[in-house]
Amino acid sequence: MANYGKVLISTDNLGLVYKLGRGNGKRKSGQASTLTALHDVSISVNEGEFVSVVGPSGCGKSTLLYILAGLYRNTSGKAYIHGHEIAGPSLDRGIIMQAYALFPWRTVQKNVEFGLEVKGLKKKEREEVALEFIDLVGLRDFADRYPYELSGGMKQRIAIARALAYDPDVLLMDEPFAAVDEQTRTLLHEELLRIWEKTHKTIIFVTHSIDEAIFLSDRVVVMTSSPGMVKDEIRVELERPRTNEIKSTPLFGSYRNDIWRHLQSLTDSTREVTTMQGRHILGAVPQEAVI
Amino acid sequence: MEHTEKKQNTLLTIYQKSILIVVIIVLWIIVPLYTDNIYVPSLIEVLKEFGKLAATGELFKHIGASLKIAFIGLAISQAIAIPIGVLIGWFKKVDTYLSPLLVVMRNTSILAILPLFVLLLGIGEVSKIAIIVWGCVFPTLINTIQGVKTVDSNLIRSAQSMGISNTGLFFKVVIPASSPYILAGFRLSASIALIVLVGAEMVGAFYGIGFMIFNAQHAYMIPRMYVGILTLAILGVLVNLLSTKLENGVLRWQESNTNAV
Repeated sequence: MANYGKVLISTDNLGLVYKLGRGNGKRKSGQASTLTALHDVSISVNEGEFVSVVGPSGCGKSTLLYILAGLYRNTSGKAYIHGHEIAGPSLDRGIIMQAYALFPWRTVQKNVEFGLEVKGLKKKEREEVALEFIDLVGLRDFADRYPYELSGGMKQRIAIARALAYDPDVLLMDEPFAAVDEQTRTLLHEELLRIWEKTHKTIIFVTHSIDEAIFLSDRVVVMTSSPGMVKDEIRVELERPRTNEIKSTPLFGSYRNDIWRHLQSLTDSTREVTTMQGRHILGAVPQEAVI
Repeated sequence: MEHTEKKQNTLLTIYQKSILIVVIIVLWIIVPLYTDNIYVPSLIEVLKEFGKLAATGELFKHIGASLKIAFIGLAISQAIAIPIGVLIGWFKKVDTYLSPLLVVMRNTSILAILPLFVLLLGIGEVSKIAIIVWGCVFPTLINTIQGVKTVDSNLIRSAQSMGISNTGLFFKVVIPASSPYILAGFRLSASIALIVLVGAEMVGAFYGIGFMIFNAQHAYMIPRMYVGILTLAILGVLVNLLSTKLENGVLRWQESNTNAV
């Protein structure tokens, strides 16, 4: 399979423990109430690689992404980019969220220019670069529209253009296509692969869809929940460029079974997570998460 | 077919919206002719007086004096309300320190403070401006706080992921994201400015619509009093129209501009 450059982004026994509830983490019972969102997560992603992270809800896959983005703080272990510890957000990482997070008061063009403004580019240069990436996602005719005038799929393409425009080294994508319909999602998959092959960006893609993870990635990281840990990594050796037909090949099926088996062995703990979160809302101590 | 239906619908809406006002106008013209109450002159008589006052220019002198004070008061109040609202909405600590005081201030009747302002600041323009500031600060302040507190956290995170500075976050995200709230507050404040103004002008003034009404009442110049009331009504509608226009213009990025607060 494809050979990639050196390690771009990595984590070393990364952990995040939340304190639950009010006060100093102590409850009436005297037990410390904490929730381990991530425990000893060590992953490593090479330059130009497309890696997906799958796992049940509550396995901390999004949390992991937000730590890499510099938006959350880990409580143990380390996260690195270019060999330096991640200290906060920066333009070398672009995040794309499920909720699009486009600025509603800015036109498509101005949304894509946002990161370039932060970067300090001149107006003319900003406009040129923004148009280039609006072009790349095929929405040139919509440059002057406001986000409310776009469909969900178009909004996510603009969010991708916005992240690409300021030229980050890695795209961090948090279930970006979870809110669009099946047909649009299929189109967006092919679109994303086309863009990835054109821009050679490193992509870390968080999803709960096994098919999506296999179809897009070079490697799939499977996570377990409570606590969120890496269960296994599966290398996807499907030929590129990939089209939708590849999903019906035997090889694709065997990857699907592989990951599914991993996740099935997790269903028990998944159930625990659900009940645990339910109890968390009620204010009880989540026993399973206490260390 | 569909087109004419649409046209009919528009006509129906215009009818529905205007019928009550038209009825009142007609009653106002006719009924006083058959009653003998000097306190309720016919609209015709009021309009005659209106024409007279407009022709001598006296009416516009009053309107000018009133609008000047209302405008200055409104401007000052917004210059206070928006920055403080943003600070309270954004910084928990500012909220904790300032909010209790603001609750007390907001719930103290303007009419109760008016005499105090007159004592402290005299009966000139300053006390009137001060009372308008007092009345107009709170709607915008409360709306701004609400707007800033409810900024979509995804937008903040998204901007932060691009390494934006705190100042940048303020001006490029927090302020525009709360602008619908701020503008709705402004629209409220603008109408309140006119309302408070009249009260202020009744306490002590030599010009202004409020003075005109009050003075006319004292002098039993009844049609003149109605001219004042009518003028205020028209001004109020105009102010509302203008601020709604401004709001729709600034907020054209919103799917619908019906977020009246």
